[in-house]
Amino acid sequence: MNGFAFSFQDFSYSFLSILFEGIPFLLLGSLISGMVDAFVPAKMMTRILPKNSGVAILISGLLGAVFPMCECGSVMVVRRLIRKGLPVSCATTYMLAAPIVNPVVALSTFAAFRGQSPWVMMSLRLTLGFFIAVTIGFIVRQIPVEKFLQKSILDSLPGRRRTAFRMSSPGMPGNDLREGVEEPVQNLRIRLLKTARSASSDFLDVAFLLVIGAALASLFNTAVDQTRILPLATSPALSIVSLMALAFVLALCSTSDAFIAASLVSFPFVAKLAFLVFGAMFDIKLYFLYGLVYKRRFVVGLLIGLFAGVALICMRLSQLNL
Amino acid sequence: MTLTAWSAILLYFYFSGRISAFLHPVFRPFVLISGGVMILLAIGLAISPLSGDECCEEEGCAHSLGRMTTGRILTFLILLLPIGAAAAISSDGFGAGTMMNRGIVNDATGLKAARQTSLSPTPQQPVQPQQPTAADEYLPKSKSGNVLIQVTDLLYAAQDSSLRSDFQGKTIELTGQLMPDNINNPNGNRFKLVRMLMVCCAADARPVAVLVDGGANTKIPEMSWVRVTGRATFPTEGGRMMAVVKADSVVVSDPPEETMLY
Repeated sequence: MNGFAFSFQDFSYSFLSILFEGIPFLLLGSLISGMVDAFVPAKMMTRILPKNSGVAILISGLLGAVFPMCECGSVMVVRRLIRKGLPVSCATTYMLAAPIVNPVVALSTFAAFRGQSPWVMMSLRLTLGFFIAVTIGFIVRQIPVEKFLQKSILDSLPGRRRTAFRMSSPGMPGNDLREGVEEPVQNLRIRLLKTARSASSDFLDVAFLLVIGAALASLFNTAVDQTRILPLATSPALSIVSLMALAFVLALCSTSDAFIAASLVSFPFVAKLAFLVFGAMFDIKLYFLYGLVYKRRFVVGLLIGLFAGVALICMRLSQLNL
Repeated sequence: MTLTAWSAILLYFYFSGRISAFLHPVFRPFVLISGGVMILLAIGLAISPLSGDECCEEEGCAHSLGRMTTGRILTFLILLLPIGAAAAISSDGFGAGTMMNRGIVNDATGLKAARQTSLSPTPQQPVQPQQPTAADEYLPKSKSGNVLIQVTDLLYAAQDSSLRSDFQGKTIELTGQLMPDNINNPNGNRFKLVRMLMVCCAADARPVAVLVDGGANTKIPEMSWVRVTGRATFPTEGGRMMAVVKADSVVVSDPPEETMLY
């Protein structure tokens, strides 16, 4: 065996199963996104968040506990929320944290790691996910949005002014406040149709990328001899990096990835933690999905930053003999 | 059109029952709901009297690719062709090559850590064959009185002395796919009885197997579904306690209603 054996039938089987699992969540995200578009006034987001942008970012990191969303759905919701005036730093924080800091993921992580320190794994995963998402949010707050937001998103910000990207105080370029635009009052029928149109549009945009990501993940899942990665488990640093790379390629849903991680018994505890934190924030399908909101250069920067950050923290944790 | 096509595929897989090979039972209703919602969206958009300008201030009334000619071709190539082709071609299970690529697990320590016990081999407790135990009252039985179990039951039993005493020495019956065993087969009369263990969807399913001392029955083609009747044993081999079925009979059978284990 040369480590690669492709079967189109097996590829199709894996490919369809990923789509069947992902489509409902994608559709749910699209519908929420459509409803946000049709029913949420542009100024509402800035009203409900605290005026202090730091506190707003911290709260955004915890919003997944109230509005749980997997990584596929959160991209669309965030794209729409940015257009509705949610500060980009808060939106980015929510987007990265929500697939981890939510009750469904907490429960699945706990269940999957029964007998393998479930409380420790669940607590570390949620804490690390929150910490990294909030850190990225604070970094994003310092960057002018023109540098990293897609032009289509920038152009769609109502009331956008080149110097008015702030939420409460001047000089915070990563926060966009949109003022001065009054949305026309529409009746319920028009709003429902608008919801349907927005949801369909978002769904097809993201489904396009989900198909590509599912195809790549299925290729790896079925054609590559996965027993060949086992020797990588021998070194802590190598095991962390290799499981993060595996998480990137497998593109698993954050609600179920813990069961896969728990089954990688040859790998150390912190390597599994790195798999669970990094994989929920960035994988091959998210690389394409994030491109709908952010410029490609920012997406690559995010990939490198998250990879390095999670790897370094987990390597440090590995010295604590967890 | 894309929504309608996707909806048709989802609903077809759900109502034909094929979805059971692809998804864990928990996720299956979502496929039905999604198929229904998509067809409603497609109908709603088709009969909608609103123009794009009336309902959307932005570019949101058509997905971004749908607004370009090349985008429409790409939409077809990416959104319709692959899922349509996959739905037409896909089988309802993995072949031997993919199973081998995923690494066949024949040790419960390689599964999720349910019923975690000592990873080192424990001394085998002397258990009298066919001795009645309390488990006999609740274990499911076949018409001929054999204990009906799954591959995973035996794997967990190899790691758990209380479970082991429920099965050891008893005549058991279990179903799986036959694969040759090239590693733990000193006398050449063994094969693996394999099932796929699914967590959420087929993409995360892993092959799990017990060894069967099957004698001359290895002439059955690889990957055939077989029903094995025999005695459960738990010898220590290579420093690990293994689950090995000493087969009395191995017969080709139909696949079970649920081909996956959960």
